[in-house]
Order: sequence, then C-alpha cells, then structure tokens
Amino acid sequence: MAVAPNAQVFLFLSQILGGKIVDAEDCLLGKISDLVVSNADLYPPITGIFYTPATGKTAHRLPWAKVVEFGEQVLVSPLDLQDQPQGTLQEGELLLKESLLDKQIVDTHGAKILRVNDLHLLKMNRSLFLVHVDVGFRGLMRRIGLEKAADKFFQWFFDYHLADHFIPWRFVQPLSSPDLLRLKVAQNRLSLLHPADLADIIEELDIHKRSEVFQSLDVETAAEALEETDPKIQVRLIENLNPAKASDIIEEMSPSEAADLLGDLPKEKAEGILKEMEKEAAEDVKGLLVHHEEKAGGLMTTAFPILPPHATAREALELLRQDAENLDVIYYLYVTDADEHLLGVVSLRDLLMAAPQTHLSDMMDPRVVSVKLEEKKEEIADLFGKYGFKAIPVVDEDQRIQGVITFKSLLEVIAPELGK
Amino acid sequence: MSEILSGKTQPAPAERITRKGFWKTLGIFFALIGPGIITSNVDNDAGGITTYSLAGSEYGLTLLWTLLPITFALIIIQEMCARMGVVSGKGLSDLIRERFGAKATFYLMIALFLTNLGNTISEFAGVAASLEIFGVSKYLSVPLSAFFVWWLVVKGSYKSVEKAFLVACLFYISYIISGFLAGPDWHQIRTAFFTPTLRFEPGFLTMAVGVVGTTIAPWMQFYLQSSVVDKGLKTEDYQYARADVIFGSVIVNVVAFFIVMLCAVTIFQAGIKIETAKDAALALAPLAGKYCTWLFSFGLLNASLFAASILPLSTAYTICEAFGWESSLDRKFAEAPQFYGLYSLMILLGAGVILFPNVPLIPIMFYSQVINGALLPFILIFMLILVNDRKIMGSHTNGWTLNLISLVTIVVLIFLSGAMIWTALV
Repeated sequence: MAVAPNAQVFLFLSQILGGKIVDAEDCLLGKISDLVVSNADLYPPITGIFYTPATGKTAHRLPWAKVVEFGEQVLVSPLDLQDQPQGTLQEGELLLKESLLDKQIVDTHGAKILRVNDLHLLKMNRSLFLVHVDVGFRGLMRRIGLEKAADKFFQWFFDYHLADHFIPWRFVQPLSSPDLLRLKVAQNRLSLLHPADLADIIEELDIHKRSEVFQSLDVETAAEALEETDPKIQVRLIENLNPAKASDIIEEMSPSEAADLLGDLPKEKAEGILKEMEKEAAEDVKGLLVHHEEKAGGLMTTAFPILPPHATAREALELLRQDAENLDVIYYLYVTDADEHLLGVVSLRDLLMAAPQTHLSDMMDPRVVSVKLEEKKEEIADLFGKYGFKAIPVVDEDQRIQGVITFKSLLEVIAPELGK
Repeated sequence: MSEILSGKTQPAPAERITRKGFWKTLGIFFALIGPGIITSNVDNDAGGITTYSLAGSEYGLTLLWTLLPITFALIIIQEMCARMGVVSGKGLSDLIRERFGAKATFYLMIALFLTNLGNTISEFAGVAASLEIFGVSKYLSVPLSAFFVWWLVVKGSYKSVEKAFLVACLFYISYIISGFLAGPDWHQIRTAFFTPTLRFEPGFLTMAVGVVGTTIAPWMQFYLQSSVVDKGLKTEDYQYARADVIFGSVIVNVVAFFIVMLCAVTIFQAGIKIETAKDAALALAPLAGKYCTWLFSFGLLNASLFAASILPLSTAYTICEAFGWESSLDRKFAEAPQFYGLYSLMILLGAGVILFPNVPLIPIMFYSQVINGALLPFILIFMLILVNDRKIMGSHTNGWTLNLISLVTIVVLIFLSGAMIWTALV
C-alpha cells in the first residue's frame, strides 16, 4: 500500500473489526475481534489487539508493538510464546467493542446519556489513537452497511447533508467499563458535570448502573448530586451504601436536605447513619428531623449566620468569610441576644456598604418577618411572594430563632404544584 | 461487579416475608403490580376481541380449551421478561442492542414499527366500529379518540396515565357480565374447556393459530420489560413481579374465555356468519338482549382506546431505547424529537388510515399479523439467549427445567407462527 508511514488517517472501529491479521509469511493468524486502549491518556493509544484464530474460539491478545503495518490487513512480526498473555486486561485498560460499542456513555459536555454507534480512531506514525465517539445517525447507518445509501437519500429527498455526530473522547465517560468503581477521582469525568445535570443522568440510568455511578463519585460530588436527585431515588442510593460511606456523604449535604433524606429512610438505617456522623452535624439533623416535611420546621436549615448586636460590620464580614462554605444562607445575618431571641436582620448588601466599625444594632432592620415552626408551605410561599425575600427566619413561641427557610427549599416543595 | 452489588443487598427474600405480616405483603403487592396486568389487558385489544369472537362464533366451544396452554405459554414467556427487567434493570431493546449489535437491532426495530403500526390501525378501526354501534360517525370518533390518546400521554404525567390504564383494566369486566347475560349452560362449557379437540382442517387450524398469535405478540415483551424497569423493582421484590405477571396472564385469558364462550353459545348456536367484532356485537342483540350488545361494544371501545394509547408509546420508547435517543415524557418536543416524532407518526398514520374511504382494512391487518408472526420467533430466540447470559442475569439465569419448558414453548410458537405465515401467504 502506498501510504506514507507518517500519514494521518482516520478509521472507524466498525471497519477494523473482522480485519485479517497475517504474519510476514502471509500466513493468516486470525481476525480482529476487539481493540484494547489504555485509558490513562487524553487520547488513549491502542495497546493491544484481540483476535480470534482461524481455528479455535477463544480470543488471543496481541501487543500493539508487534504490529508492523496496520492497513487493510494487519501485518505482524513473528510472535514468541510469551507475547501472548491470556487475554487479561491491565489496570486502566478498556476494550473498545466489549465496553463501548453499542453501550451507553455520558457526554459530559452536553450532559446527556447517549449510545455509541461507532468509534473514530486516528492512525498517526504507526500508532493508533481513540479520538471520537460516534453517536450520530450516520454512524448507525455505517454499522448497518447503508452509509452511502443514507447519504444519498437525505441529499435527494431532504436536500440535507447528513453529517457525522462525534463527541471528543475527553468529554466521554464510559458506563459499561467494568472498573467504574475503581476509577481514580481525576479520571472520573462525571464530576465535570453540574450537580443538577449529574442528578438527571443518575435518574435516567437503570437501577444497577445508578448505584455504581453514584458510588464512583467522590464524597463532595456525590453529596451535591444527591441534593438534586428525586427523593425516592435518593433513598435507594443511600440504602445501597454502608453507614460509614453514607454518613460521609450526608455530612456534606445541607442540614435541611440531609434531614429530608434521613426522614425518608427506614428507621434502623437512618439511626445507623446518624451514629456514624460527626456529633455536631448529627445534632443539627436530628433537630430538624422532628418537624413535618412540608411545614416551616421541616423546610428550614440550621446552617445560617447569627451574631450579637454589639458585633461590628468588620467582625460580621470576617465571620461570613470563614463560614461561607458551610452556610446555606449567606445573604442575611440574623442578630440575636444571648438567648437567641431574634432582634433584627442585616443584609449582605448593608454589610458591604457600612463603615467597618458600625455596630450591627445600628444598621439592622428590627422589623423582621418571621414564621412559626408549624407554618404551612402555602403561607410561607405567600410571604416570599409578598416581600421578595431570599430567605425567611423561623422562630419558636418565644421569638427564638430556630432556623431559616431559603427560597430554594420552598421552591422544591412548591414546584410540583406549579405548571402541570 | 455483580458481586460487589449483591454483597450489599438486603436480607434474603424469605426472611423479609416472614418479618412482614400478611397484610403488609399484600400492600406491597398492590404497590408493585401494574406492569403485568396492564400488558396482559392491552393484549385483549381490538384484534384480540375480533379473533376471539370469530373463534367462538365459527367453531363454537371447540377452541375454548386452547386458552389453557396459551395461559401457560404466556406466563412462561412474560416471566422471563419480567425477570430480565428486574435483574438487569434494562429494557429488552437495550439488551438486544448491547448483545446483538446495531444491524440486527435495526431490522428488528423496523419490523416492530411496522407490525405495531398495523396493530394501531386495527385499534382505531375498533374505536370506529364500536362507536358506530352507538350511532357515532367514524369521521367524528376517530379524530377525537386520536386526540384524546395523544393528549392523555403528552399532557398527563406517567402516574396519572398508569392509573387511567389500571381503571381501563377494570372495564374488561363488561365482557364477563355480558357472558353471564347470555345465560350459558355451564355444564357443557366445563366439558368443552377440559376436552382438547383438534380438527385437521385448514380453517380450524388457522383460527387456532390466530388465537395464539393474538395473545402472544412481540410488542408485549418490550412493553412489559420496560414498565418493570420503570417501576424500579429490586431483585428481592422479584416475587411480586412474578405474581403480577401470573395474575395478569390468567385475567387476560379469563376475559378471552368469556368472549369465546359468549359468541359460541349465542352466534354459533344461531348459525349466524360474522366477519368482524362489530358484526358480533350487532348479532348479540336479538340473541342475548340489547344490553349485551352495548356491553360488548363498550368493552371493544375500552380495549381499543386502551391499546391505542399504549402501542404507539411503547413503540416509541422501544425504538429510542435501542438507538440511544432521548425518550421521556418529561422532555419537551425539541429535546426528544425522535421520541415524539415516532409517537405522533404512529397515532397520525394509525388514525389517518381509517379515515380514508374504502381503505383495504382486512389486508392491512392481515399483513400486520403476518409480520407479527414472522417477528415473534426472532424475539423469543433473542430472549432465550439473553436470559441464559450470565453476564446479564448473574445467578438468575434459567434452570434447565425452565429452559426445557421455554424451549418447547418457543418451538411450538415458532411452528405455529410459521404455519400462520404459510397459510396467510399460500
């Protein structure tokens, strides 16, 4: 063949599979049944070929180094016996046909689950790299052997040029790879997704893949995604974990979300998880658990900033800066006395505009709109609508602050009743 | 991989049951049922009712006994589907695509689309026929029902749709009531039911094959498995899915029993010749009273509407699942164009064909039955391979007894489907 050794050629897996492998004496060794890639790199190189010998059924592995020429036929240099490890995969290796072709993948750029119709490979300087995943209609037609026919038909009938639909490998997270659970954090591209998108994807997967994907996430990503997941599925995902791992994830969630989730779990399981949690976080969540989920007490979170009236704007800002990561509410600071009686509220905007030495008591708004623990969601929604707050504090009978309801938590219980 | 998952599962099923009381078990059963019962009832659609009425009115009680082996075969096949759904968590077209590749899946899906389209046409024909008995023109009833079906699924949520479907299942009682209205001789029926008769004449055999073919259809396997997956049943809850399937399969044949029996003791004994379900309904009036006709037509309307809602939906789901296209009622049209496109196309074509004057309905149904019969063996063979694949099913593959039973069932069904195609084309 008249192909220059350093030419770049694109190939499709569907065209490679079934190709003949011959040795220097033009003797047929077998047919290509699968390719192995090393998934460590951005564009994974092919590291081996699986082939089924003309006689026999079990596939043998051939190291890529033995390939002399990769064209219409694959020419290999003579094999030693030790060149044939028994078809086992090494750490980080992936079989293209077995784990990718016809299987589902996550496109982390478009946040979608797609099915792989073909794989696009680049041949360059005697190496072969996996570059794209083909998820388009044209790829499907190629597999069926109707690529040309489909091109012509679309051109003639719709005057439409049928284009390939490729996804670059760096945006692809395989789902069928057997070692999903052993992925290193950096390799797991699912954490690139927005938590809400990741939650959607988890919901769309089947029940086994769901918990597998969930368990492959790092604790922080898992917690963020879990907050956005449908409550029924949340319960399933957590039920499949051991209490230690579950408690790690739940600690990362906001207390109000964590309480809702624990409230939905079977009692034994919830108690097991609470025992494993850090004491402080567990106390917070337990306090929230006693309230009805759709009333003020059940909607509120306990992660909000409170300060005494004599604190200054500078101190307040300092406190916010330190705690912001763990707070569910940062737009309002609540001013209370030593017994946590609610005296007033200061917004972040007021705080930023105030001179650093100003006392909170001088800048706070004492006319705080608050609700009681037993207030119903509809009444709370009316208050949000009327005043346009981002959060509303919850107080007990003695005006002591118990928690804060954020607009987001309210929206979660009200949303199902909107629209449809 | 499966070891890791199963290592964290709940206590063994037996333990769970003893811990829960009887009432709690019953409660769980009712929470988890649905897929099997809905699938089976959709099976008694316009085509089914027509075939059963013809069987009863042409051959009297002689074909009644076939319902026993049919129930058995239905349970065997549906049980495998439900098990695959629970264990793999994937739909049947998903499994077929992953195991058998793009090419086989592509042609299978084209055949499935065509046969389901044919079935959808016959559902709308059923709507038209049943409402004509009440004096409603098909030019009014068909567009309205098509719109109703489309609206129910596109605008309703899955939960409300499933409830509507379960209510539709209840309306099949109308056939049981009309069966009693005819005042049959139960002693004679019991004898016929337990005495297998086989007559080696082409008409009789074709009808027997038709009864089997209408009861075990390709689309059901896809629909059942997907809805089992949608329910998100765990492997430990599999026993409820099985109970659901068995319950559904028995119910569907009880309804079929009453239709065959009703037509046998009235139309067959009066010696009237009928060609459609509408003829059957009209012939009932002088023989069993006008209420019987009304109930019979109402049952037909319910069955046709019910199946017309499910068939296009199931087809769109199945095909999108196989090709990895977005398929969810929660998506907007622009987000899932293939899904809504296929769904709307099925309804549009299905209802549209009926509105053409002089449309050759009988050949259309006929050929859709032929494709049905040609498709079924492939699907059953694929299913048998899949259900024995350890990579997919783990320890839940068929045992050898079950494999033998299903193999015999499948061979018989393949033989019957072949016979049907042969009689149809020769």
